[in-house]
Amino acid sequence: MSGKTILRTLSGSILCAVVAAGLLAGSLTHYSYDRQFREAPNATPSALHPLGTDSLGRDLLARLAYGTRVSLVLAPAAALLATLIAGLFGGIAGLAGGWSEKLILSAADLSMALPLLFVLIALRALLPLDVSPLISVVATFVTLGALGWPASLRVVWAAARNLRNSDFLLLARASGCTPARILLRHVMPNLRPVLFAQFWVSIPLFVLTEATLSMLGLGVMEPLPSWGNLLKGLEDFSAVRANPWMLSPLVLLVGVVVCFQLILPAEEALT
Amino acid sequence: MDERELDPRLSSASREAIRKEHRLQSGLISYYGTYLTRAAQGNFGRSEWLERPIAGLLKERFPLTLRSVVLGLLTAWAAALFLSLAALYSRGWFLDLTGTLFSGLLIALPGAVVALLAMYFRAPVFVAIGVVTFPKLFRYLRNLLLHAYEQPYVLAARARGVGQARLLLRHVLPLAAPPVAALLGVSISMAFGAAIPIEALCDSPGIGQLAWLAALNRDLPLIVTLTLLVTLVTVAANSAADLLHQRAQ
Repeated sequence: MSGKTILRTLSGSILCAVVAAGLLAGSLTHYSYDRQFREAPNATPSALHPLGTDSLGRDLLARLAYGTRVSLVLAPAAALLATLIAGLFGGIAGLAGGWSEKLILSAADLSMALPLLFVLIALRALLPLDVSPLISVVATFVTLGALGWPASLRVVWAAARNLRNSDFLLLARASGCTPARILLRHVMPNLRPVLFAQFWVSIPLFVLTEATLSMLGLGVMEPLPSWGNLLKGLEDFSAVRANPWMLSPLVLLVGVVVCFQLILPAEEALT
Repeated sequence: MDERELDPRLSSASREAIRKEHRLQSGLISYYGTYLTRAAQGNFGRSEWLERPIAGLLKERFPLTLRSVVLGLLTAWAAALFLSLAALYSRGWFLDLTGTLFSGLLIALPGAVVALLAMYFRAPVFVAIGVVTFPKLFRYLRNLLLHAYEQPYVLAARARGVGQARLLLRHVLPLAAPPVAALLGVSISMAFGAAIPIEALCDSPGIGQLAWLAALNRDLPLIVTLTLLVTLVTVAANSAADLLHQRAQ
């Protein structure tokens, strides 16, 4: 095995372990993520609380496990949404050409010029202040997915445009394939690696954006934990100095994003 | 209903004024129509939360953000260009690996965490903006330059005995110039986006912080104006890069 394969296998196993830990959060810890131990705020690690507690006395391990579930289930869901939008419209633009291509591409260019974070917080501001945590989670990731498509769209468009004039599509058309069949049997299998690559690169992007949004108080609402929400605890420097284990959400997040980058599919699918 | 209508201190006339304003804003298209006509005349309306004209707020806060963004971008571009060119120049694995590892680690940090680090080390705002934009620039530049370096005509030039420095400056960089110019526009958009968490957490009174406060206080006119302003700056920069590229050709 080459060094690169070993690295990719290792990253893959780490990712699987983290996802599994998030899904099995209930059996990792028997505390709930919002149970407060009022007598022990900012506690250092002990047998009762392996990572200590936060400023409100909530068990950090429980919050980390449930936060991992929120972040690592919803970021891929948002990436799937963004990839579907990019695939649909990028595919149409690349294959159909003409005015629909111009329209879709200019829409994508315009959206790319809009700074994502500005639009995200503007949309988030439309929601009322007192939404339930569950709605805030769904709203955060749906807006991420609904806005995160323009860069992927251009890649899908370029790949689809290359297919438009290919001989095998000409042959398929000449032999009387219906448009639906051409799309499903001839175009989709060729676009699959590109779409998968775009899906894969969107996940860490959304994980990071959610973290920034939640740290600014404009993402996932308390008491529901997410990685961004947990990182908010780092703003209290003295508490972090007293209990360095409070850095564990940051280490986990950086580790997971690095793993995502290391497994990145073949580079030719990205450009 | 607007929360302000519940305020008992308001007279019935003020309440009626609030309702009238809401009726005006109710149709999305007509709202943006009036908004854009007014904005074109330099009247951005009033901030609902600060109860001040938005134009004045922008005049106060935009220069600070512009300064941080320009300085941050200069730092990031200088570092990214230097590192990627130096890695190519030395043709060794050490610089390339260092740059890749360093940028890989930085790219995995959320913008808000970089802001916290800047606060902890008391680094100026522009450094934090540079740190957020640098890894993306470096990765893109490195791939672009490497791609240009592997072209057959570069190999031919090397075979003719062209020196390494001249090879990079005269043969590799010109080929990579158009995509690098395109990256310029994208990097401006990235830097303004990074300004939101950094200014918000480092307490730097620029438009990034203003956008954050506007979102927290549900001040829609203000945040829409800020978004439009930043988009305008980005589009202008992109067009300038395009023009430069066309002139060069």
